[in-house]
Amino acid sequence: MWSKVIEYFPDWKAWMQAIVMTLIALGSYRIHGRLYKWGYNQPKQDGQQQGNSHQQGDGQPQNIAQQKVDGQQQGENQQQNDGQQPSDPWQQPQSQPSPQLTGNYDADMALIKEQLGNNSDVHFRDFRISIRNSRAVLIFVEGMQNEALINRQVMQNLMDNSFVKFEGYAMHNQSQAFAAYLKDKLLPISKISEVTDLYELEQSILFGFTALLIDGLPHALLVGEPAPKVRAINEPTSEALLRGPRIGFTEVLGENTALLRQHGRGADLELKMIEVGSRIKRNLVIAYMKEIVNKELLQEVEDRIANMNMDFISESGYVEQLIEDNWLSPFQQVQNTERPDRVISALLEGRIGILLDGTPFALIVPVTFSMLLQSPEDYYERWLPGSLLRTLRFFVAFLALMIPALYISFISFHPGLIPTELAITIIETRQGVPFPSLIEVLILEVSIEILREAGIRLPKPIGPAMGIVGGLIIGDAAVQAGIVSPILVIAVAVTAISSFAIPIYSAGITLRILRFSGMLFAATLGMFGTILFFLFICSHLTKLKSFGVPYITPASPYRFNDWKDLVLRAPVTLMKRRPSMLKPQDKKRRS
Amino acid sequence: MFTRSDDKITSTQASIFLTDSVLGAGILTMPRAVVVAGETPDVWLSVLLGGLIVMVLIVVMVKLSQQFPEKTVFQYAGIVIGKVPAFILCWLLIIFFITIAGFEVRVLAEVTLFFLLEGTPMWATMIPFIWVSGYLLFGGLNATVRLFQLILPVSLFVLIVSYLLSIRIFEVDNLLPVLGDGLLPVFKGLKATVLIFAGFEVVMFLVAHMQHPEKAIKAMIAGISVPLAIYFFTIIFVIGGMSIDAILRSTWPTIDLLRSFEVAGLFFERLEFPFLVIWMMQLFCNFTCYFFGASLGISQLLRIKFRPVIFAMMPIIYLASVIPQDINDLFALGDIIGWSGIILFCLIPLPLSIIWLIRRKGLRQDA
Repeated sequence: MWSKVIEYFPDWKAWMQAIVMTLIALGSYRIHGRLYKWGYNQPKQDGQQQGNSHQQGDGQPQNIAQQKVDGQQQGENQQQNDGQQPSDPWQQPQSQPSPQLTGNYDADMALIKEQLGNNSDVHFRDFRISIRNSRAVLIFVEGMQNEALINRQVMQNLMDNSFVKFEGYAMHNQSQAFAAYLKDKLLPISKISEVTDLYELEQSILFGFTALLIDGLPHALLVGEPAPKVRAINEPTSEALLRGPRIGFTEVLGENTALLRQHGRGADLELKMIEVGSRIKRNLVIAYMKEIVNKELLQEVEDRIANMNMDFISESGYVEQLIEDNWLSPFQQVQNTERPDRVISALLEGRIGILLDGTPFALIVPVTFSMLLQSPEDYYERWLPGSLLRTLRFFVAFLALMIPALYISFISFHPGLIPTELAITIIETRQGVPFPSLIEVLILEVSIEILREAGIRLPKPIGPAMGIVGGLIIGDAAVQAGIVSPILVIAVAVTAISSFAIPIYSAGITLRILRFSGMLFAATLGMFGTILFFLFICSHLTKLKSFGVPYITPASPYRFNDWKDLVLRAPVTLMKRRPSMLKPQDKKRRS
Repeated sequence: MFTRSDDKITSTQASIFLTDSVLGAGILTMPRAVVVAGETPDVWLSVLLGGLIVMVLIVVMVKLSQQFPEKTVFQYAGIVIGKVPAFILCWLLIIFFITIAGFEVRVLAEVTLFFLLEGTPMWATMIPFIWVSGYLLFGGLNATVRLFQLILPVSLFVLIVSYLLSIRIFEVDNLLPVLGDGLLPVFKGLKATVLIFAGFEVVMFLVAHMQHPEKAIKAMIAGISVPLAIYFFTIIFVIGGMSIDAILRSTWPTIDLLRSFEVAGLFFERLEFPFLVIWMMQLFCNFTCYFFGASLGISQLLRIKFRPVIFAMMPIIYLASVIPQDINDLFALGDIIGWSGIILFCLIPLPLSIIWLIRRKGLRQDA
């Protein structure tokens, strides 16, 4: 009995393997955990900073922290502050009442000049107003104002006294009345505002407003709106469609929100503006349909955006990376798009759009895997072509991910699994190839990636030539030279084309990265490795969430209602409901 | 609630978990085991009967579990029969799960080495497999079941297509005459067919994780019907395609069936390849079920966190999987697992239900 037990007792090799295996698993878990914490910094660090000033909540922790520092230093080294960090004085008004304009022309000018005079692009245009003969100055930043408008509507009217009629305003020659007169009669400008706060005035000037300061008036007038440099509205280059609107977002937030509004009348679209960036501030707009969006989802998005801690958000890619769920995942958890129609239809599904000033790329959250393989065209075309193309894209994504791995496992490990004649052909053509299949695939894959990367950088006229030289000639020459087999050239070419067929560029990159790890799996364990790789990716995808929505919904967990819009695109008449995975307030699209 | 904080699963997910925990290595080994036991073409009747019996057992376990909402067997056993006996019984259950997990991963290794990777050391196939499964389990029950949901439809599709394509070598004569030897061999076969459903014990902790435990009976019956149907088709098509004598000579009859005909015009001429791929994924799900069950048991029994237990389980399952020395040991182990499944049922849910009934009745009389 005992001898039998001992006979079946695993030997020391098995024990060692078991121990090593656990240690490796533990180790990689630890490393992953460390790495994750290390990169996942924002809310945690905020928490530490907030530790000092708890009651403030999570409004804008970076300001609170800075404020404290300022408060301490304020007394002794005001000058130093000014010299070293020009932006610090901007923060001060929050801790103490900000300096106001005094109404004394010379004193105010001196104050403003002290703050802004160092900038070479800030201009002070002194002139005299003819009707009162008082001094006045226009302050503006070069190139940011609409010069024609200022010349014609402001300077001309103020300096020309030919048609002055004081009417009721002339009765009391007081500054208030004069200001009112200026606004009511003299300055035919739609946007005009009074500013008394020095801090606000300076910031507005630097942002491109034209300020008018007149001797004897207690406040400054902002007369000209900033006229930022604008690109014309173009067709989005990264998401071209055959059918559908040809409008893409531009770099100006106001225009982008207008593009959203222009989609149609309706009071449902709500745009909430938030200022982001601690040093250079920028506007960010959260767009949603207020009667559709799930309130908790909206709250979550707002919280995450408020938690962003960055001195300058230069592109929506920053926002994406600061609010995403899992920074270690190769899959994007926020969708970016240049197309207003895409944003609008996402909003109508109950998603949330995030638009940042200065970039044509809007973000959509939450994102699910199937969205990455969908194109707006699917909905614009009739349902049969839409479904067909979508099915094709799912297939194409699979090809882009798996072809090299399958090639390696079939050629190196299981030639017996492919039909005999095909196997013979492949082996014949591979006879001269001196490398194992992994190296062979790597050579070609890497050169394709290089070609692709180089193609983006090249000037437009050379790009196609490069593609021909690189793709055709190198591929052919590599076969002729016997470095790779012709079958592989086909396989790699199909892979490359497949990854171009994925409608979202960043999703294509994800598949490109994963393809290489798939190749490694296949090179180690053949078909078994490929299966493991696939299971691994699937496991990762099922664990991944984007803003609380499982990444591969509705495929799993099953939401059969949403399946109408997954691989197939059901006829519009049948899509009566919004995706239930987003738990919208209003579930029906049509009754 | 937009983001769910509780790790509950829907009824569909529960059904799929049960399906996946039953449907595993059995597809490959079952025809042989059943035919060896029954030695008659009528064993498909045994499969149906076995399924029905298992359904009854499952109903008993669900009823028992429903008495203790939110509690798994590891938690409620103590309430019913006292701490110490419950502790021992639960450990038996955990060891049972570990053994099955080891068995599954070993079958996987044997099949892989035999059909795909000749000459590869066995650990090289088993260890990564266990790792990936552990990685999946870190996501919790919900993520795990989501993966099952993703894979099961595909596997069912490929299984059914493979079987349907084997119709060209299907001969009804192999299945005839029905009941030619009378009913006795059918009952003999029953011995083996109840075993192929081993693993249905997961019901005892599954019900506690359901969002709507009141729908458990329906969900669990649905969950067991799928493997019952698949096993039924498997046995029909394998016997019809190969005849009993061929099955008795074959180690993996199902694969041999798919190898014995060619489909012209496809990229792979034989269906054995897609079938193996799907079967491996299915086995992965199957293995993960028991991995989960064993880890959950230990973590609840000893009141430690779930994740450290997963790490601790990895080497244990690996060691369990290397215990059988050759494929005959492995098949013997399969039989032992089947029997211990029945024994465990007689040891745990049955007495627990009876004792619970008696105690509750007794309490009522007192009141």
